[in-house]
Amino acid sequence: MSAMSGWMELADIQGRPKRVWTQTLSWVLFALGVALYLQVSVARHRENPDDRVMPTGAQLMAGVHSAVMSQPEEDDPLDDGASTWQKITHGMLWKDTVASSKRFGISLLLMVPAILLGLHMAVFPLAESMFLRFFLFFDKIVALSLLPILFIVFGIDQWSKIMLMVIGVGPTLLLDTYNLARAVPREQVVKAFTLRSSNWDVAYRVVLKQILPQVLNSVRLNLKPLALFLFAGEMIASTDGLAYRIALMRRHMGMDIILPYLLWVALLLFVLDGALRILNRRLHPWY
Amino acid sequence: MTCGYLESMRSYFARWQQFFPGGSTADRNRESILTGGNPDLQDDRHHAAGAGWARVLCAATVAVLLCGALSPAAQAAPTFTVGWSVYAGWNPYFYMARSGILKRWADKYGVVIKVQRFDYAASLDAFVGKNIDACTMTNMEALDMPAAAGVDSTALIVGDYSNGNDAVLARNGLTLAQLPGKRVLLVQKTVSEYLLERAMEMNGLGAQAGRLRLVNTSDSDLVGAYLGNRGNLVAVTWKPLVSEILAQDHGVRSLFDSSRIPGEILDLLVVRTEVLNRPDGSGARFAKAIAGAWYETVAQLAAGNAAAIAGSAAASEDSVASYKDQLKTTHLFATPQMAVQYADSAELKQKMDLVRQFCFRHALLGESTHSADDVAIRYPDGSVQGRRDRVRLRVDDTYMKLAQAGKL
Repeated sequence: MSAMSGWMELADIQGRPKRVWTQTLSWVLFALGVALYLQVSVARHRENPDDRVMPTGAQLMAGVHSAVMSQPEEDDPLDDGASTWQKITHGMLWKDTVASSKRFGISLLLMVPAILLGLHMAVFPLAESMFLRFFLFFDKIVALSLLPILFIVFGIDQWSKIMLMVIGVGPTLLLDTYNLARAVPREQVVKAFTLRSSNWDVAYRVVLKQILPQVLNSVRLNLKPLALFLFAGEMIASTDGLAYRIALMRRHMGMDIILPYLLWVALLLFVLDGALRILNRRLHPWY
Repeated sequence: MTCGYLESMRSYFARWQQFFPGGSTADRNRESILTGGNPDLQDDRHHAAGAGWARVLCAATVAVLLCGALSPAAQAAPTFTVGWSVYAGWNPYFYMARSGILKRWADKYGVVIKVQRFDYAASLDAFVGKNIDACTMTNMEALDMPAAAGVDSTALIVGDYSNGNDAVLARNGLTLAQLPGKRVLLVQKTVSEYLLERAMEMNGLGAQAGRLRLVNTSDSDLVGAYLGNRGNLVAVTWKPLVSEILAQDHGVRSLFDSSRIPGEILDLLVVRTEVLNRPDGSGARFAKAIAGAWYETVAQLAAGNAAAIAGSAAASEDSVASYKDQLKTTHLFATPQMAVQYADSAELKQKMDLVRQFCFRHALLGESTHSADDVAIRYPDGSVQGRRDRVRLRVDDTYMKLAQAGKL
């Protein structure tokens, strides 16, 4: 009887599962994924000891080690006496992460003007009539198809990749901010003016202040498209970066490096997303 | 195979049944049909689980019957899939399939051969993943993709070698000696990089090869990136991209091309060795069929048959003129004699050694491969390059020889 009701409670909307249960459950799929991978990998290696499609745990560890500690082929080799720290900071993973982060960071900063433009479009009628139709259309252009043009205009270095990311994600954020700002009740704007606010006050201290938490959430949601465009750019033409290494490794099925790289990218995005979430909560406890 | 999979699925279900013997209402209804609607049985959980087993047994029986019904058909005509990608020396596979030549040969040997077009990288992935049985690739990729990944592969047909299709292009009258420090657009870790390195070596600049600034550029965007920006001085690529660049920018010159390294960039048809050696002999029949069809096709091409050339050009949506231009710089082994002669030569071993050393130097054989000998190559005369116990790539002249003797 008691066992029965225990089970029932687990599936109950009103149930209050114990912390042990919730914690365990949240890890089940991770464990399942790892177990499934290891099982298939072991089976594949039994059939073909040189299998490269699904490296074993030991091979992955070796892959992680060489990704972190060994230098990319294109660089001049370090002296023999190099310390571990020097090895790491000259290693593939470090170098690629720095290169990709730089691109990612710059384009993330370039999202700020896009957000502000969206705000202005929602608040100032003239800005709206000037930009709205254009950006509604521009947003629908498949950014990747612009790449050959971007190469011609911005060269094949940093800027073509950064612009790809900005063009790909900027308009979406801009339009989202516009919609959020439009949703602020008109009465509040009028009220602010009756309290002798200036245009600036209304735009930044009434409207922006209210929508900022939602805008930050929108940025968080757009981290993945941003990473996607970064990867697309780096795979098509580059000399460094996380996706560059993955593209090279794909040429000889170096999955022992590719898988750690993918997990590393996922982890970085996860951390960035978490940081933005915490920032949002700190800045806007009222939201 | 399908059958085994089904069965294992069934046994999984069976195991789950033990954990959740009650099942949903719908489950219970179905159970009541199986147990003749006896409420006693339904209430007794142990018995209900037994009924689940009965259901599983039933399903398994059906699955076995189904497999049995399907297998005779499978035995009648074993199916083989050949993957190919766009390249002057491989386009004929498209014409071969389209014109019915392949079908005629396949029928003769009682097999079904499907020919499927891929992007090059995707075709290699499919081959390594064992999704296709045979695939066109260069000698370099045969070594660093399937062979290095432990997929024992056999080069069945030595089709041609690049005799000028691949080229190092440069602007502003740049010479090879001036390349270090300049940006070079190319698809890295492919024959393009091999060609560039050979160019440097052969001009006594080998020591400076490490100072090249390589920009890994996708082949689909290479022409645009190179032509669009005059700051990009050097590119290494292959035809028809080379022809496009040379035609659109008259300031670009070819510094070095693959006609200077004849026989090093080989284009092969590679089959998985386990497929070739299938105990029922179907793999060998497939090899005979495809070899027969191939040499009939290339004989037409070499004789200048308009339909064959137009059909092969159509494979890559090229114009006939452009395709003919590519053929000029492709040394086709137009007869089985030519191919056998090259496959059996000492020259092949020497060229393959250059390629495998390149692959090893660039870690293309895998980070964990400690010596080029770990991915060994076996030649038609039985000699092995590398460790005898680690033969991964075999050059097999059996079927080319049969074609030569007219015994196909």
